[in-house]
Amino acid sequence: MKHDYPDRYSGLDSPLHRLDPRSKLFGFTAALLIIVSEPRGELVPFLFYFALIAALLLISRVPVMFILRRCLNASPFILLAALLLPFSSLLSDREAGLTTEVWNFSLSVVLKALAAIILLVLLTSLDKFHRLLKGLRSTGFPAVFTVLAALMYRYIFILNDERLRTQMARLSRTPGRLRRGRFRVIGNQAAVIFLRSWERAHLVHQAMLARGFDGSFPEYGKLVFVPMDIIFCCSLTFLFLLIRIGI
Amino acid sequence: MHIADGILAVEIVLVADAASIGALYLFGKKIDTDDIPKMGLMAAALFVASLVYFPVAGTSMHLGLYGLAGILLGWLSFPVVFLALLFQSLLFQHGGLLSTGINALNMGAGALLAYGVWSLKGLPEWLRAFTGGFLGIFFAAILMAGEFHLSGYGKGFFYVLAGYAVVAAIEGGLTVFIIGFLRKVKPAILNN
Repeated sequence: MKHDYPDRYSGLDSPLHRLDPRSKLFGFTAALLIIVSEPRGELVPFLFYFALIAALLLISRVPVMFILRRCLNASPFILLAALLLPFSSLLSDREAGLTTEVWNFSLSVVLKALAAIILLVLLTSLDKFHRLLKGLRSTGFPAVFTVLAALMYRYIFILNDERLRTQMARLSRTPGRLRRGRFRVIGNQAAVIFLRSWERAHLVHQAMLARGFDGSFPEYGKLVFVPMDIIFCCSLTFLFLLIRIGI
Repeated sequence: MHIADGILAVEIVLVADAASIGALYLFGKKIDTDDIPKMGLMAAALFVASLVYFPVAGTSMHLGLYGLAGILLGWLSFPVVFLALLFQSLLFQHGGLLSTGINALNMGAGALLAYGVWSLKGLPEWLRAFTGGFLGIFFAAILMAGEFHLSGYGKGFFYVLAGYAVVAAIEGGLTVFIIGFLRKVKPAILNN
């Protein structure tokens, strides 16, 4: 398995890393909700939101460049959304041109989405992914979905290795640019990934049944919610709320 | 194709989240313990297969395969699509965390529609596969256009639909080859 990127910085030692995953899930979700509820066209509050996010980043010790690189993943769709309103405005009334209101709307969409992505990357960098799933489960998320998610997380990396192997096979058989039969070759690659997953699912199921699987995984090590977790969760929500209501 | 947080009006996102969780609860009741490994691995496979990139017209595109999920898993495709999107959001920032509900509704609806088309046994298999793959993407794009319009972005996204139609046609073509391969190698997989 060569893919460690989701948990790359979750092993750091910082006050934020030491918190209970539920506290981080609640706090960051509340912060996300507050940011996305900011009215469109408002730009000034984002100065404060980003200052607060920068403080969180500083405390977490997660490298800024790592966060920014991850932000690039979502940038094409954000740019498309940001350019949509100017495009629609020009389509509906070319004479009027683009007003400051339209540009403010677009800029606020970019800032909002960017702040939300940074928070999301930070959240997933503050704890091991399986602990976040465990946190989700203990908040009342149905067990069937957390078991599904745990299985999915366990096999994503194995199947991704399979994808890389099939990709290597595809490239070795069809070197250079694919021209004729391009779709058939790519379709076969995707089909092979599905087929191997399907067969693996049968083996996994039989192995799970042999070990007494009854629809849930046994839990080892309970999560402990201490007063510091409540303080973090409430103060994070409170600070974001202060900016939102404009104090 | 994955809507990030902060793009759409928050009311629309929250209503979609509620609807999505309701749908998840409904479909969740249909899940049998025996289905769990199959669903978990198919969700992982859907996630991984969507990382297969290939060159198209000077740029690169990746597979969505929501139509294929509908064809292979039927009703169970909705929770699988939801989970795959949740993971794509958390691990790769493809789509936002709060927007998982609306993304799942868009793409889950495409997957369920593909399942509906696949169930029309009177049509030739290649046509059902193509239409399923096409609708898996295009129906989601139509829903997105409506959501952008309702969120105050005007009608611009309806013009972007032309681009999505091309992407959906490519996906439909690929679905035909995937189904053809599976029919040849493991036909049992297609008998859900």
